[in-house]
Amino acid sequence: MRVSRRTFLKGAGAGGASIAALRLLGGPGTTLVSAEEAGGPPVLDTVPATCWIGKQECGMVAHRVDGRVIKFEGDPGSPRNLGTLCPKGISQIMPLYDPNRVKAPLVRTNAKGESGTWRAASWDEAMGITAAALQEVLDRDPSLVLWQKGRSKSKYLYDEAVPDALACSKFGHGAYCSDAGYRAMEYTVGLKGVLNPDFRHTKFVLAWGWNAVSAGGNQLCYITWPRQLLEAKANGMKVVFVDPRIRGAGPFADDWLPIRPATDLALALALTNVVLEADAIDRDYLTRYTDAPYLVGDDGRFLRDEDVPLVWDERTGQPIPVGTPGAKVALEGPFDLGDVELRTAFDRFREHIAQYTPAWAAEITGVPADDIRRIGLEIVANANIGATVVVDGVSLPYRPVGIMAYHAMQQELGFQATRALAQLMMVIGALGAVGGTLATTKWEIDSKYYDWDVVEIGDGPYSFSLSGSKYYPINSGNPSVAALTMLDPAPWNVDKAPEAVIIHMANPVVSFPNNQVIKDAYQKLKFMVVLSPWLSETADLFADVVLPVATVEKYEGPNSTSDTYVDAVTIRTPPMEPLFQSRGEIDIYIDLMDRLGRLNGEGGYLAYVNEGFELEGEHAIPLDAKPTAREILDYYAKGHDIHEGIAYFEKNPTYVKGELTPAQRYGYAMDPPFGGIVHRFYGERLLDYQRTMQEKGAEEIFWQDYTPLPTWRQPTMDSSPPEFDLYLISHKLVEHKQSRTSFIPLLKELTGGQQVDINTQTAQVKGITEGDAVWVESHNAVTGETRRVRTVARLTGTIRPDTVSMRHGFGLWTHPGARDQGPTPNELFFTGPGYVANTADQSFQVKVRVYRAEEG
Amino acid sequence: MATTARTLPAERGRGGRTWYPVVALLLILLGVGIYAYLEELSEGMAVTGLRNLGPQGGATWGLYITFVIYFVGLSFAGISTAALIRLAKIDKLRPIVRMAELLTVICLMLAAMTIVADLGQPLRGIVNLFRYARPQSPFFGTFTLVISGYLFASLVYLYLDGRRDAAVRAAEGAPYRGFLRAWAAGYSDTEPERVRHRRASFWLSIAIVPLLVTAHSTLGFVFGLQVGRPGWYSALQAPAFVMLAGVSGLGMLIILAAIARRSLHLQARLGLPMFRTLGIFMFVSLLVYLYFVGVELLTNLYTGSVRERDVLRELLGGDYAWLYWSAIAGFVIAAALLVAWLAVQQLRTHIWPLVVAGVLVNLGAMAKRFLIVVPSQTEGQLLPYADGSYAPSWTEYAVIGGLLALGVLLFLGFAKVFPIIPLPEEGDDGKVVT
Amino acid sequence: MTRYGMSIDLDKCMGCRACMEACKVENSTPPGSFFMYVFRLEQGEYPSARVSFLPRPCMHCDNAPCVKVCPVGARYKREDGIVATDWDRCIGCRYCEVACPYGVNTFNWMDPAENTYLDYDDADVAAVTGGVVPPYRNPALEEPYGPEQRMIAGGGHSRGVMEKCTFCVHRVEDGLDPACVQTCPVRALTFGDLDDPTSAVSRAIQGRTGFRLLEEAGTEPRVHYVGGAAPGPEAREVDEPVTEV
Repeated sequence: MRVSRRTFLKGAGAGGASIAALRLLGGPGTTLVSAEEAGGPPVLDTVPATCWIGKQECGMVAHRVDGRVIKFEGDPGSPRNLGTLCPKGISQIMPLYDPNRVKAPLVRTNAKGESGTWRAASWDEAMGITAAALQEVLDRDPSLVLWQKGRSKSKYLYDEAVPDALACSKFGHGAYCSDAGYRAMEYTVGLKGVLNPDFRHTKFVLAWGWNAVSAGGNQLCYITWPRQLLEAKANGMKVVFVDPRIRGAGPFADDWLPIRPATDLALALALTNVVLEADAIDRDYLTRYTDAPYLVGDDGRFLRDEDVPLVWDERTGQPIPVGTPGAKVALEGPFDLGDVELRTAFDRFREHIAQYTPAWAAEITGVPADDIRRIGLEIVANANIGATVVVDGVSLPYRPVGIMAYHAMQQELGFQATRALAQLMMVIGALGAVGGTLATTKWEIDSKYYDWDVVEIGDGPYSFSLSGSKYYPINSGNPSVAALTMLDPAPWNVDKAPEAVIIHMANPVVSFPNNQVIKDAYQKLKFMVVLSPWLSETADLFADVVLPVATVEKYEGPNSTSDTYVDAVTIRTPPMEPLFQSRGEIDIYIDLMDRLGRLNGEGGYLAYVNEGFELEGEHAIPLDAKPTAREILDYYAKGHDIHEGIAYFEKNPTYVKGELTPAQRYGYAMDPPFGGIVHRFYGERLLDYQRTMQEKGAEEIFWQDYTPLPTWRQPTMDSSPPEFDLYLISHKLVEHKQSRTSFIPLLKELTGGQQVDINTQTAQVKGITEGDAVWVESHNAVTGETRRVRTVARLTGTIRPDTVSMRHGFGLWTHPGARDQGPTPNELFFTGPGYVANTADQSFQVKVRVYRAEEG
Repeated sequence: MATTARTLPAERGRGGRTWYPVVALLLILLGVGIYAYLEELSEGMAVTGLRNLGPQGGATWGLYITFVIYFVGLSFAGISTAALIRLAKIDKLRPIVRMAELLTVICLMLAAMTIVADLGQPLRGIVNLFRYARPQSPFFGTFTLVISGYLFASLVYLYLDGRRDAAVRAAEGAPYRGFLRAWAAGYSDTEPERVRHRRASFWLSIAIVPLLVTAHSTLGFVFGLQVGRPGWYSALQAPAFVMLAGVSGLGMLIILAAIARRSLHLQARLGLPMFRTLGIFMFVSLLVYLYFVGVELLTNLYTGSVRERDVLRELLGGDYAWLYWSAIAGFVIAAALLVAWLAVQQLRTHIWPLVVAGVLVNLGAMAKRFLIVVPSQTEGQLLPYADGSYAPSWTEYAVIGGLLALGVLLFLGFAKVFPIIPLPEEGDDGKVVT
Repeated sequence: MTRYGMSIDLDKCMGCRACMEACKVENSTPPGSFFMYVFRLEQGEYPSARVSFLPRPCMHCDNAPCVKVCPVGARYKREDGIVATDWDRCIGCRYCEVACPYGVNTFNWMDPAENTYLDYDDADVAAVTGGVVPPYRNPALEEPYGPEQRMIAGGGHSRGVMEKCTFCVHRVEDGLDPACVQTCPVRALTFGDLDDPTSAVSRAIQGRTGFRLLEEAGTEPRVHYVGGAAPGPEAREVDEPVTEV
């Protein structure tokens, strides 16, 4: 072991003076050597870890020197990342040792609404304050306590068991993610996902608003989808990017349709028009597995015989109830029954689509009609209707046309745009086919398929989430809309507002548009406790108590690390002790539940955990214990065939369950196919909801998109005055994830802060040059409000002339590393009518104008 | 030879009204420079405006290297003038021979100090340059081998050339007799001794000429051999360095001679014929240098590679245009002044056009050195890095200012102690040469 | 004798900069200093503007201009081809930096102990890390390597000296791949013995059209690019890293 100069000098008694003198003369370089190394050789080892900073839970290997983690590398055994890590994962080493982490529980000492001053408290005191505050509200009305997550890394231990045990309200972040798409797919085909291609077998993919090189696609995050994209390309797959900007495609686009923002529905309809014209129709699929053959009356509802919809039997030339054995069901009519002409839903669909020609769409989307037609015909050419292929011994339909769509669906027409894309795939029979379009890792029918069909629209008064209201019958639960009801309950007929909020890995004042609305609403809360490793901006302004949580150094999980072909699970185990006084959230909740008397017994937290984990009998967690997080996860593992229990995960990051079977992946391969449910090609219930909403007096802006077939209309934001001539959209960078990365210096230095990407020619016309300080000002077409932020203009040829885009991940201020990073576009996006979908999902699009800062 | 006691023009006690304020100002500048360098030693070179090229968008060689080249360039004229006087017997220039030698010695010392100021590890640098010397490196070739050799040879030349005057002054009873006697080292002003003296100077001059050319050429090679730096990579780099060295050196000699002439009232000894000779030399060198500039410009404008043209664009019309055109203007005006001075009868009786030309070419040389060093780093990247920028920090200006002040102080100090203009001596034919 | 080299597949590179991050953590380079660098480039006008990515490590040239110009032999080429920098001998003249056509060199303008990303003087952090700065610093970087036993691993050692990509010599001598190669999510980078036809790097290059950067400069780089194309003169950087000191 080489003795470093520093240790030698120290040992020789040479004091700091001589070191300083040497430095003055530029003498021997001072090497950065640990004091502890003056002893024996360092002990090197590796332990498992799971990435905390992203959303994929990539398995990691933590390299340690004398127990100190010095590096994270990917776990080769994790299917998602196969031994690699993205820059966020690697940079995690820095937030682990960040001196700006909250070191002890904090209690606020000043008024809310301004930057917080704090005193450190013991865990006991902080938990006591929290429990008391929550208990007070729980005793009066538990629904006034709100559990709010941004990201959760243990669904059953957080999202399910906590609100269930407290019987409180809960909000997720889905309304800002892609829930408009989720709702559409849940309603249409019963899947809790949006759209992704079967990359291994596909030949033609529409990357619909998918930033392949810098963001996640459907459900999975960076690393896995791009890797599959490249493998598919190597197999001859062609990919067309449908996006107002092309940077997200890197060099991989075979084609680019530069679509005008918010016109995705129009393009999807026009592509369907081309496909129908070319008669590329998978009649077998549509007839057998969807409601397309159902007969539709003039009132837009199915014809029924005692509650059972009717279809036309070609054998008998008569309408019969669907499901009648031996019938030969017809997909297309019209059929004559006496002097009445009967149409199927598919007939209605055809008539409806006829108006959406490529020429019509070209006007609206800005994509030339010839290109629309060309891409539509490529879909047709690749559809292979009628073809089958054998996968793992099972013969399945082969339709190698896929769509990747996710965050792009968070727009005003996102619900119907997703339905339209699903319909496009259903017409050619690609949904659930090999090489076609899937929506989830496993084809499992979600209960929401049934729930969204039987929504009871009440008269009010409504709760602050507006569930069951005449405004959003299918409701993703948008905290920003809830904020609007908190600020002005009367117009919404709302009689309840949340009083106490538990913020779990979320940062609403920065992450949720519109920031000002959120801030104004949160000001009204009586109590807020924030669980976060750092003093988040939300905590800074509104928290009463901040509980420091660990980052990667805790027990948490379980989480899937499936790559959609191989199934695997991971449980986060700590590679070192939690730093400072931080703890894992599971342990915090166990303690909290105990203090609230909700931990034990039937209906307690542990009971719900058992339910969520499906632990029974000897595998169930005893309801009278107070286990640690480690113990709970040990029960989970042992209850799921991992006999070593948690010890397995303390040696291995990932437990691989095996390849998914065709029946788990492809709806066609299920028994019965598609789980026996009917795919709602025609959304009859949506029409019912529309009528009920009208009856109950909801305004048009709420019911106009509850149509049985996706129907184009001009987005509300287009009626902003003409001086707001640009569309603002937003995009991710691979370096950043929500609000927990842009202050990490290792990631911050990779990309710089906020900027607005503007088309080069557009900038020239406006007299804006590269690097100019500019104002970006948005306009709310419904209320007339404007908002503006100041940032830097960067010119590019990779975006439409009528569109500008800003990055997510910025707008922070509490961490010293966040200073001067620039604003978040969430200050510019609005919420409420016109700026949310018909499912209350947030839109991330608005009309803006951009001008040089001197002119402002 | 008459041995009347005499005081030298600038000797101790003969300061004049301007002496003390000037010295005081120089000492202040020197002090500021030392302070700045100490700050650089303690904080690291981050206190300069230098930054890594490429991703960091800076220039890693800047003001310091500019002045290394400038100082070495000035040193050219010194010894070459001295050598010319001996070899070509240009006796007209004899009066400035010691100033020229001193200019070389001081400038080389300043160059060496500037290099050390530019090293990240100065102490280690001095040790390792000797311990691990690699002659293949142009840096080593120039900065160690040649400059040390050149400096050594110049010191020997100055020493030998000054022995006679030292002996004479010691005999005259001048101040600092001990120092003078040590210098003279047994020189006695006899005929054989004088012949030996002249012969030694002659052979030294012959020996030093190749060293002279090598020194400035290798300096040019430091830049000219770098294939990775558009704007540097050129066969013309070495010759251009030599020429600009000559121009600026001659210009500096003219300035020094003019100052000496005015402040020491040496109009007789530092007469118009001498200035005329210097002026013509400078003029011819300037023309040759401008020819080189023109050739380079034409070549790159006509069919330069993309990266060469990037650099050129910045020089001619971009961020550096103001400096480039000022330098060119300086050279052209200097040339015009010289033409006028040669052609117009009335002007020929004045010194000032030469002095102005001398000042202009020196400022132009400083600018041109900067323009050689910096733009090829900030704009001349072969890989598509974003363009960078560089501006010297106050530390760099202060250190350079301190070094310049040091140079002037050394010059003045020497003049206090030793004849700055050689004492009159007999030529080969026995006649007194002044 | 082993002849180390690297291949970079531009048909795969996603420009995610995981390699830059892995390199930074592995080698503890200070702020503003990148051994591995990834260009994000754009060229053309709307609607034909396109994006491309170019990872750029040190080329470890066989005819390295930087080796030629080092006055004290601190920059030298090993027998296995790695061009190394002895940070114990370097005098900080920065000639290698101006000589390199690729711009891969970084000089430590500040003392790395003072030029840290976060304030590691914090007592609570120091209690956990034993005062190591940065806390993730790998002690293997302070060891000598190679038959010459010289101090050539990693970065951020002292101020006033030069640093650059070392092909992670401290990992390579242990039989591991460089950190950038190890982490690339799409396996665009490979490393190994160019003289061994079965090595990962040889297999990656074989049968593919490719190029080396700035070949016309005569540097004989050891990094081979396959797929994609060298950036044209119109390519300009976007998403540049922040490199201020």
